[in-house]
Amino acid sequence: MSATASALAVRGLRAGYGNGGDIVCNIDLDQSPETILAVIGPNGSGKSTLVKTLAGLLRPRAGTIAVTGRDVTPLSPARRVVAGLAYVPQEANIFGNLTIRENLQLATEFLRGRPGAGPAQKARVMELFPQIAARPKMLAGNLSGGQRQMLAFACALLANPEVLLLDEPSAGLSPKFVGETMDAVTRVRESGVTVLLVEQNVAAALDVADEVMVLVAGRQSLRVPAGQVSTADLADLFFARVT
Amino acid sequence: MMAQLILNGLVTGLLLALPALALTLIFGILKFPNFAIGSMLTTGAYAAWIGNSLLGMPLAVAAFFAALAMAAIAMLSDVLVFARLRDRGSITLLVASMGLSLILENICRFAFGNSTRNFAFDVARPIRWHGLRINHEQLITAVTVIICVILIQLLLYGSPLGRAMRAVSDNPSLAAVRGVERQTIARITWCLAGSLCALSGVLAALDRAVDPLLGWNYQIPIFAAAILGGLGSPAGAVAGALVIGLAEELSSLVLPTNYRQIVSFAVILGLLLLRTEGLFGRKAVRK
Repeated sequence: MSATASALAVRGLRAGYGNGGDIVCNIDLDQSPETILAVIGPNGSGKSTLVKTLAGLLRPRAGTIAVTGRDVTPLSPARRVVAGLAYVPQEANIFGNLTIRENLQLATEFLRGRPGAGPAQKARVMELFPQIAARPKMLAGNLSGGQRQMLAFACALLANPEVLLLDEPSAGLSPKFVGETMDAVTRVRESGVTVLLVEQNVAAALDVADEVMVLVAGRQSLRVPAGQVSTADLADLFFARVT
Repeated sequence: MMAQLILNGLVTGLLLALPALALTLIFGILKFPNFAIGSMLTTGAYAAWIGNSLLGMPLAVAAFFAALAMAAIAMLSDVLVFARLRDRGSITLLVASMGLSLILENICRFAFGNSTRNFAFDVARPIRWHGLRINHEQLITAVTVIICVILIQLLLYGSPLGRAMRAVSDNPSLAAVRGVERQTIARITWCLAGSLCALSGVLAALDRAVDPLLGWNYQIPIFAAAILGGLGSPAGAVAGALVIGLAEELSSLVLPTNYRQIVSFAVILGLLLLRTEGLFGRKAVRK
C-alpha cells in the first residue's frame, strides 16, 4: 500500500516517557480510508501511549506520522487537528463545567484553517448525535457516561477530520452504553471518517472493526481483518504464546 | 446604626471583591494560591499615586494608568518567575508568589519610603440619606467594583476568550487539543488579575492611604473571601467578599474593632473544618 493511499501512515514510531525505555517500539502502520482499525492488547502493551503519540500529546523518539500523505510529526496536537487528525482522549474528554453548547463551540472556535469545519459540518454531526443537540444549556459534567462519549465524539467530528483517534471509548461504561458507543463509531465511519480505535473491550471492538492490530509489549504482534480473529487466538497472542 | 453597619460592610466587601476575583481567577487557571495578591494591590496603589501626585493626572486617569502598569508587571512576573515553574506543582508556585510579594513590597518601600501618602483628591462631605452616612469614596468603590464584576462576568461567560479561560481551568490538556494554548491564557489571566489588583489598590488607598503594607491589611480577608466562595469560582469570590465584609463590620457589635481580622481567620478555620469546597465550589475531582 502506498503512503498516499493511506488515511493514516506511521513509519518506525518509537515513544516512551522520561528516561524510561520505549513503550511503543518501532510501529509501522497503514490504514485505508474509511475503515475502522481496532488496536487491542493486554494491559500495559502501549495502546494508550501509541494513541497519545499519534495525537501529539507525547513527542515520538523516532519515526513519522502522516495523515492523507501529509507529514504531521512536528505539529502540536491542535495543529494536527487542523491537519485532519482528531483525537478523543480516554478520560476527561469534555469540559465538565461548561455547557454542551460551549463544548461544541470550543471544538472548532480556536482551530483556524480547518477546511469544511463550518455550519454544514455541524448540521451533519448533530444529525449523527441528535440527543446532544437537544439540551444545549446543560452542563456537560451532568451527562451520563454514554452521552459524554457522544459529546466527545461530536466535538472531535466538528473539526471535519480525516482520521479520528479514539482512546478506549467504552472504558467505564455499562454494557448498554458500550453497544451504543460502538454503534456511534460505526456511524462515524459511515460518514466518511477513518477511525483508529484503541480498546480494552475486545469483543466490542471486533464487532465493529474492519481490521485488528494486536499490540504486545509495544510491538505489533498481529495485523489481520477482523473476521479472521478468534477469541482463542487472541488469548494466545495476549499471553505471547506464539511468536 | 445597624443599616449603617450593613452599608459599610457591603462596601468593605465590594472592596475585597476585585482582589478575591483576581485570586480565584489565578487559582482556577494556574492552580496555585497567589500570595502576592496583597503586594500587587499595594504596587497598583503606588502606580496610581505616581500618576496622580507626581504626573498630575486626575485620579480616574491615574487608576487606568495603574491598571495598565500593573497588568504589565503581572505579565512580567509570569515571564520571569511563574512560567518557568509552571509544572512544578502548586507548593513551588505558592512559595514563588511569597517571594514576589516580598520583592514588590520592598521595591515600593525602597522607592517611596515607609511614610503614608495620599492622593490629590478633594475630600467631600458625606451624603446623608435616610439617616445613612455615605462617603463619596464608598460610592466610587461601589460603582467601580460593580462595573468591573459585570465586565468580568460578561468576559467569562459571554466571550470566546472567557470560554477559553474556563476551558483551560477545567481541562488544560483537552483545551490544548482544541487549539487553546495554556501559555497565552495564563498571560491574559495575569494581566487581568494585575489590573483588578491595581484598581482595588486605588480604592483601598482612597479608604486608607498609600503605604507599603496597604495590601497586606487585606491579604487575609481576600483569601477568606475567595476560599469562602469556593476557590476558582468567580461569582463565589464576589459573594464571599460581601459576606466577609459584612461579617467584619457586624462583628464590631460584639467585638472591639481592632479584633476584626479574627472574623476572616474564623471563617477560614470554619470552612476548613466543615465545608472545604467553599459555598459555591465543587468537590475537586483528582485523578
